[in-house]
Amino acid sequence: MKQTWSRYLIIFAPLVIAGILLWPTFRSYQLGKEKAAAEASKDTVRINNFMRDNGESYRNAKNSSVKLGLDLQGGMYVMLEVDIVKLIEESALRESVDETFAEVIAKTKSETESSDDNVLEAFLRNFKAIAEPKGRSLISYFDIGDSKEISDASIIDKLKRDIDDAVNQAMEVMRQRVDKFGVSEVSIQKQGARRIVLELPGVSNEKEMRDLLSGTARLEFKLVRNNQDIVKALYAADKALAPKNVAEAIKDTAKTDTTVVAKSDSTKSDSTKTDSTKADSTAKAQAAADTTNPYAKLPKDQQAKAYMADHKVSTLLQVLFKNGNQYIDAATQGGFFMTGNIPDGDYLFFTTRSGFDKLMQLLSTDRLKGVMPADLQLVRSAKPEISTEKSMDPTYQVYCVKREAELTGDAITDAIPTFDPMDNRPVVSMQMDVDGAERWAAVTGANIKKQIAIILDDQVYSAPVVQSKIPNGSSQISGMADAKEANLLSVILKAGALKAPVKIIEERVVGPSLGEDNIQSGINASLFAVLLVIAFMVLYYRTGGMIANLAVIINVILIIAGLAALSGTLTLPGIGGIILTIGMAVDANILIFERIREELRRGRGMRSAIDEGFSKALSAIVDSNITTALTGIILYFLGTGPIQGFALTLLLGIATTMFTAIIVSRAMMELTMPENGNYNFGQPKDINA
Amino acid sequence: MQFLHGTNIDFLGKRKTLIYFSLVLNALGIILPLVLGLKFGIDFTGGTEVGVELSGKANATAEIREIVEKGGVFGIEIKSFGRDNQYLIRVPADAYGAGVDVRKTVEERLQQSMSAETVKILMVNNIGAKVGSELRTAALIAVVLAILAIMLYIAFRFEFTFGIGAAVAIIHDVLVTLAFVTILSKLGILNLEMNTAMIAAFLTVIGFSVNDTVIIFDRVRENLEKHKAMNLIQLMNLSINETLSRTVNTVMTVVLVLLTMTLFGGEGLEGFAFTMLIGIVTGTYSSIYIASAFVIWYIQNVQKKDIEGEYESQKSRLAKA
Repeated sequence: MKQTWSRYLIIFAPLVIAGILLWPTFRSYQLGKEKAAAEASKDTVRINNFMRDNGESYRNAKNSSVKLGLDLQGGMYVMLEVDIVKLIEESALRESVDETFAEVIAKTKSETESSDDNVLEAFLRNFKAIAEPKGRSLISYFDIGDSKEISDASIIDKLKRDIDDAVNQAMEVMRQRVDKFGVSEVSIQKQGARRIVLELPGVSNEKEMRDLLSGTARLEFKLVRNNQDIVKALYAADKALAPKNVAEAIKDTAKTDTTVVAKSDSTKSDSTKTDSTKADSTAKAQAAADTTNPYAKLPKDQQAKAYMADHKVSTLLQVLFKNGNQYIDAATQGGFFMTGNIPDGDYLFFTTRSGFDKLMQLLSTDRLKGVMPADLQLVRSAKPEISTEKSMDPTYQVYCVKREAELTGDAITDAIPTFDPMDNRPVVSMQMDVDGAERWAAVTGANIKKQIAIILDDQVYSAPVVQSKIPNGSSQISGMADAKEANLLSVILKAGALKAPVKIIEERVVGPSLGEDNIQSGINASLFAVLLVIAFMVLYYRTGGMIANLAVIINVILIIAGLAALSGTLTLPGIGGIILTIGMAVDANILIFERIREELRRGRGMRSAIDEGFSKALSAIVDSNITTALTGIILYFLGTGPIQGFALTLLLGIATTMFTAIIVSRAMMELTMPENGNYNFGQPKDINA
Repeated sequence: MQFLHGTNIDFLGKRKTLIYFSLVLNALGIILPLVLGLKFGIDFTGGTEVGVELSGKANATAEIREIVEKGGVFGIEIKSFGRDNQYLIRVPADAYGAGVDVRKTVEERLQQSMSAETVKILMVNNIGAKVGSELRTAALIAVVLAILAIMLYIAFRFEFTFGIGAAVAIIHDVLVTLAFVTILSKLGILNLEMNTAMIAAFLTVIGFSVNDTVIIFDRVRENLEKHKAMNLIQLMNLSINETLSRTVNTVMTVVLVLLTMTLFGGEGLEGFAFTMLIGIVTGTYSSIYIASAFVIWYIQNVQKKDIEGEYESQKSRLAKA
């Protein structure tokens, strides 16, 4: 009698435990359905009632239920990498950076681009190989603030600390951004030394998420200097790039392929804000300049084209000069670049997206280095200035700003999306801390009637003209397309800036409907496969097969309960893992039953045949399961995402298979054994006779 | 019901012919991927995959190609996936120049050219070339480590020779499966590109193959105790015959499961399931012929014990009697 009890215990205790573990899953499924029904009714009272009565228990149930992988429920998986090379590059002293240092950085960048190597080690290795033979040491480039303590070791120490800080801080910022944006059940993990993996279940607008995650959020307030200096710099750049003498230039331009010119013309014509009245006022200016125009001999309509053909930098920018109340085109109508006679005053710059990239690239080449005044930099507007046809290269305004920021985003304490009362455009209004407000008051006070650019991640969002001193530390960013974007931006600003930029290196998005399709076909295939196996087992091994089937069903329940206990995730490959486990479990039973039949054939009685069958099959079952477990373990540690899900279910399944196939099915067999000891394993009748 | 019992098939008698047969298949497993090239998924090459559903637009592959190429993205591959109005647009990392945001271009181009309601983005996979090469290395390490771990375990639980025998059988199965995968993927019958799921399939093949081998070796181990005087070749034949009905039944159930998954598992599972199907059939064959035959060859030629001669003389003695 005692034995019978212990057998029931073996069968039912695991089921009870599994039931307890799976209860939250069942509960959250039920409550989720109720919640969805309440939300579908759009009845706020009903929704509020539901949340009041069940909100807490729904959350709790959800937390301890079996989680579905992104491939099954839809969502977004993002792997971010913190740009450590950039961090090292930026921690060097700006004035001491030279070509040697740039070479070290470039080499480090290309080396670490294709591997997950330690960036600092690669940097130090390259520094040793490239910079040290040239007599440079780390001290030449880095400053740790305390000049007494400075040494290579202390610099390396500081860089190491900074890198760790930057990665941890990036993780914290990401967590805040997704939290404040209202994405729930996000998992954020650090992977390796400089990567962050985010899993965002249920996210459907991946474009928005990408914007939310990829920005550095470096906010800066810089003075706009769209003046003579920068135009002079462009002129100097042109001269440096076109060393040919004028006569040759004119000869060359005659041969210029018109299609090339036409191309640059068409991109420019989009951006020209000229209206018809402008032509009159500019004609005079042009006439004045004509005397020194080296292209004077050419027909008028070809002068501009001829000029563009052999000038490289200024043609990338559309330069407009404020002449009285009108803006004139400095290149074609002002003749500034032909004469070098560049007047003082206000300028406006426009360029295409690709033009800007090309310009920045040209200006960073050795030939043009030093042409730009060191304290100025060019930045483009965040949004295209003029809405062009969507397929065209859009046009952006370019600002020349002081390199040194007047104020940075560190001073921002709050950011609220709102609307500009004047024109109802979406804006983000920001509040600064006490120090920031003081500084902001001083900056605005000193620059009345001047432009200040509000720059986020090196793109100008707005560049308002200061009307009066702002004493209370408030400011606002405009230039967002809609309220949604303003909201996104306010979230990013509140979460703060990253210490080092991040980039998305891997991204997987599964739409919710694809997730459903996956579940459906996965579950259908699994059910069908299980039915086939069950049918085969019953046909071949009769009562024994039935026992095996029951054991397999218990097995599957235990696997899913195990997933809940380990807070694992069920993925599509995970379902594959469960099916494989079923195969393994059935194999274990087949081994045992074949062995029992064999022993019966040798003339043993039923009872001792069963004993022998179980004990002799044991070593084969254990060894084969352990070898499969070995591959499972390797997969678990080397795999990512869904594959890990597969490995986890496989490993869990191996553990539960050993238990159910050997112990549970034995207990069931003993309990169902008929009085006469005649158990049906589908063996031919004559064996037992 | 009873399919097979009391069989007395001389499995190992054909071992020499079958070893040559297997060697040819293995050579193919090395040569074919090198000559025909393996088709890697974007997991391993890096690149971008965009799955879209275009409502009311079945078989619009050409149209999609034109739209996307006008956006300046070339080298794309489009195939249908799932339903006939769902497409997978794939751009490998080496097919586009730096600076082009492929995913954005594809999405925007499609949404501009067709009305926004028609286009539904189902999934996006965007994998940097760097991550791709890392995943590839990790996969290779996984396979090599798995084989090593299994070899060590069997050498520890059984005998050193058996460990190598099992490892040889595994390598055999991996190569034969690779040969089939290469041919079938070249013929374009199934979605059989190398991706992380495929590596999982290969590792499971390894697990199952060794499972079969272990069960036969387990019987050999038991019979070695029972029949101390029996010649090893005869003993292995006996063991294979004794476990044959288990082998057939298990393989049958597993094949049933995998066939179901291949036919009904959908795009995501079919390549995985089919690879395992080939691998498991091969694995069964190799545990019977290759693993045991290798152990015999090793004892005969490396350990220089003339078990073959002994077996032949035993057989002729039996024949005379």
